[in-house]
Amino acid sequence: MGEGWLSPLADPGTGQPRGAELPVLLGRVAKGDRAAFEELCQHIAGPVFGTVRAVVRDLAQSEEVAQEVLVEVWQQAPRFDPGRGSPMAWVTTIAHRRAVDRVRSEQRSAERELRAAAHPVAYDDVAETAEANLDAERLRRCLRSLTRLQREAIMLAYYGGYTYRQVAVVLGVAAGTVNTRMRDGLIRLRDCMGAGDED
Amino acid sequence: MKTRRPEPHTLAGVYALDALTRADRARFERHLARCPQCAAEISGLRETTARLAAAATTAPPAGLIQRAVAAAAQTRQLSPLTRDTPRPWPRHRAAAGTAAGMPGRSSLRRAWPPRVAVALAGAVVILAAALGLAARSTQHQLQQTQAASHAIAAVLTARDATMISAPVTTGGTATIVMSAHDRALVFAAAGLRALPPSSCYELWLMRPGRDQPAAMLPTPRHGMTGPVLASGLKPGDHLGLTIEPVGGSPHPTTPAILQIAL
Repeated sequence: MGEGWLSPLADPGTGQPRGAELPVLLGRVAKGDRAAFEELCQHIAGPVFGTVRAVVRDLAQSEEVAQEVLVEVWQQAPRFDPGRGSPMAWVTTIAHRRAVDRVRSEQRSAERELRAAAHPVAYDDVAETAEANLDAERLRRCLRSLTRLQREAIMLAYYGGYTYRQVAVVLGVAAGTVNTRMRDGLIRLRDCMGAGDED
Repeated sequence: MKTRRPEPHTLAGVYALDALTRADRARFERHLARCPQCAAEISGLRETTARLAAAATTAPPAGLIQRAVAAAAQTRQLSPLTRDTPRPWPRHRAAAGTAAGMPGRSSLRRAWPPRVAVALAGAVVILAAALGLAARSTQHQLQQTQAASHAIAAVLTARDATMISAPVTTGGTATIVMSAHDRALVFAAAGLRALPPSSCYELWLMRPGRDQPAAMLPTPRHGMTGPVLASGLKPGDHLGLTIEPVGGSPHPTTPAILQIAL
């Protein structure tokens, strides 16, 4: 398995959230500090690779995309604005966007819709390859607090990489309905999961 | 408890989940630029999608971090943004090289449709990754590639370097960095369709009357092709890419699958 790779969440020794180190590291990366970049990678490579893998599925391609994401983090670091969110949110946004761009450019939407119909995306599919971690447990619990439509819409979009129109086709509802369910579902998830570093 | 708010911006959740097509995304981002309230909501939702990402955490394959670090070492970082308005990369690049951009040096640049501009950010990474791969190959073939690497580096660091990215009609994205001053460009591509062993990709400088063979593309590695250097550009040239029989052709024998006005 990976080298020097760390869990993104709490350090079992200190109980301190590792996330607290990320702004400092990213600040050093923004100044071109390569050692800091390597250390940052050890924190973010797991979530980045896991997210990309969930969406892209193919192992070789996932690895390729994950590497592109890490290099993009290096490149964009001087433009990271802490006022607009946490480093992890910034990094995973880059990762997820690259992953969906990769799959959407490769597959015709009709094919993807068929595939989705045949294999509904469930969190368990993702959990199969994911490491057991605190976020995974909490997510599993919180997903149960969503309505089925909210849950499926979010799963299909985030881990499946589908557009909301594709999600609407798969779930057999209007696109406008999907919009509101995704937003309401995310808000409910946010309330259930807490802010992360503070609990 | 959640209170249901009025929803003037129903796309916030969809956007945070990247569930918009590129075109819809670009449209929504134009709205975002004028809507601080939306931007704040998106920031909040992104923290939640980050938890979805964290929940998918998977041990990365061996060597991923090392390769990323090696590729980063070959990659120039972007300059910090001084204004909130997102702008295409080449202008930032120019602004980083000199104090105040370079008016008058952009005669070869044309206005790119938004779709292509959107591809620019990704293009930077494609090129970086291709260069990272090239850097590794030089360890094996140092002597042959050293001269080419120098020429490539010269174009990439030219003060008038301009980056252009465009889709290849048969699949994949091509990225070039061009220096009009050096009359040269560096070409790289990601995700080009694999060809049968009897065919190869050939790069051309297309000009009225005579298309000039510019380079044969090497076999892709990890989905990345290039970088290759093409020199001897003339104003008005188009860069073209065609599929040719192995060994290349003196003139294009198939329709171009990529054309970029230089």
